[in-house]
Amino acid sequence: MLTRRVFLVGTSALVGACALPWQASRAAEAPIKLRELYNKDRSFSDLALANEGRRITVEGYMAPPLKADARFFVLTKMPMATCPFCEPGVEWPRTILPVYTRRTVDVVPFNVPITATGTLDLGEFTDPDTGFWSKVRLGNARYERT
Amino acid sequence: MFHRLSVSLLATVAISGTAFAQDVAQSGSQMYTDAEAALQQRLGETPNTHRARNVILFIGDGNGVASNYMNRLWAGQQAGGLGDDYVQPQEAFPELALVKTYNINAQTPDSAPTAGSMNTGVKQRFNLINLGENAITEDCTTEADNALTLFSELVTDAGKSVGIATTARLTHATPAAVYAKTAYRNWEGDVPAECTNSKDIATQLIDAMEAGTVDVALGGGARYFVPKGVETPNGGSGRRENDVNLIERAQADGIQVVADMAGLAAAGTDAPILGLWSDSHASYEADRPESEPSLADMTQKAIEVLSQNENGFYLEVEAGRIDHANHATNAKRAMIDGKAFADAIALADEMTDDADTLIIVTADHEHAIAMNGYCGRGTPIDGLCYDVANEGIMHADEPVLASDGKPYTVVGYLNGASSVMIEQADGTYTAPEGRPEITQDEAQDLDYTQQVLIPKSSESHSGVDVALYAKGPWAHLFDGTIEQNYIFHVMNYAVNNGE
Ligand SMILES: [Zn+2]
Repeated sequence: MLTRRVFLVGTSALVGACALPWQASRAAEAPIKLRELYNKDRSFSDLALANEGRRITVEGYMAPPLKADARFFVLTKMPMATCPFCEPGVEWPRTILPVYTRRTVDVVPFNVPITATGTLDLGEFTDPDTGFWSKVRLGNARYERT
Repeated sequence: MFHRLSVSLLATVAISGTAFAQDVAQSGSQMYTDAEAALQQRLGETPNTHRARNVILFIGDGNGVASNYMNRLWAGQQAGGLGDDYVQPQEAFPELALVKTYNINAQTPDSAPTAGSMNTGVKQRFNLINLGENAITEDCTTEADNALTLFSELVTDAGKSVGIATTARLTHATPAAVYAKTAYRNWEGDVPAECTNSKDIATQLIDAMEAGTVDVALGGGARYFVPKGVETPNGGSGRRENDVNLIERAQADGIQVVADMAGLAAAGTDAPILGLWSDSHASYEADRPESEPSLADMTQKAIEVLSQNENGFYLEVEAGRIDHANHATNAKRAMIDGKAFADAIALADEMTDDADTLIIVTADHEHAIAMNGYCGRGTPIDGLCYDVANEGIMHADEPVLASDGKPYTVVGYLNGASSVMIEQADGTYTAPEGRPEITQDEAQDLDYTQQVLIPKSSESHSGVDVALYAKGPWAHLFDGTIEQNYIFHVMNYAVNNGE
């Protein structure tokens, strides 16, 4: 089954980091999966590179937030009642994505599927508020139950 | 009454007389003749009473009978078949037993005392490794008086080599049971400050490699061999609170330290090898980059190196991440790792001789896992349960619907993070909208987690028996329902008895 998503990934592999105009509208299409941001060797995928700085929608779950009234949560690819990766100072796992939100996070239970839409930011960053170090994140984001 | 009795008497006569075989209506069926051939093969088998030069113990962590069933169907369906009739390499072994896995104080076992029981011949207490029954978990003062003798130590004294290959951290419970004695399985890189006479598990591995009780150790877990803040060979950061760099210590002692497939391939067979592919566990097979050795790659190298010793070897191979995928209720990754486990078994069988190598394939414990029904033949094991079709063999086109009108997957877990029960604002758990409705595409996604009832942060083990498959010298001593610690006794007998 050649889905639109497979087609997008395949095409972006050909054009590398040169984003095509229609890739910017990616957020309006089927959400991507967290694992699609990486190659097996842990480097960023062509899809991630092509969408750097653009708004994308990623599906997953909201890990229980580190603190109340934050504008930050961790999107996990599978439900995680306790997130071993959500503390500062651990190795970077490919199974989570920090999400910086426009508004204070209204907690969604950890096992309810959501999508998060925000600007894809690649590269190392240490959050001055939480000390949370990340290699990739969504900024200026909103999220909703699916 | 009289009539029924006479019929059953006639039936008995017909079955017991082979002269009447042509009267069995189904005797021309291939299912019938295949089973006859299997019987004839069994009749021709004789026990192997050679002395075992080599022992290979394969442990699928958390790979109980249910998980093994998933692996069989997955491998069979990946090969283009229906799955059910597929034979995994260990399933062709002649000997089979069921294993009781409980720990001294736990009906539901964990991986530390279970692997410990296989390596020492006695059951142990929950969450500790290779200490006697009077030891107390997390109490390091009970370590010294309760240290047990290990199979690795016995065979080392007998001149054999010892190896470990795992997809988990080398300091994790199952591999640690080959070489470590500790009051707590989590003391992988450090012990509590007051435990001045205790050693962390990583230190115990390097001690064992220096002492020659472990010659090859391949797996993950580099972070516990390197001090905090110091880079690991895999580009991460160490976790040890103390400042001993065990990798430097190993290298200074002539141990070859390698960090990837290229390093493993280049390593010589004339010196011990410590292979660390990752900072924590090695990759799930589904996510493994080519630069990282598979379980089969590790098994192959371990056998190549260990078989240089003419006195033979003991090798423990663990598929550690079947357990982790099951804990995550991510059945698909468990099956894919199950296939990688089978590939390693097939390779080890191919590289060794049944005449002198005892191969045991088992699990340390089962999970809270079960299969739903009633599904037709060929139902993808990683997806929804499709109905039985009344004609032909293949399943019907429609999934079976539960009483709520929604489909469900074949594989189910009893508890876990992917519960259908949702935490409400008041802290209670309920499912106001019922179970999620899932499509086949969603269910077959690599990251799909099965629907479960009881919400828990991590799906649990269960106390259900696991299977044990064996071939080679004295393998026939595995039969019936056995205690897990009996496995050691057969291994120990096999290396010491026979011609
Ligand atoms: Zn486990």
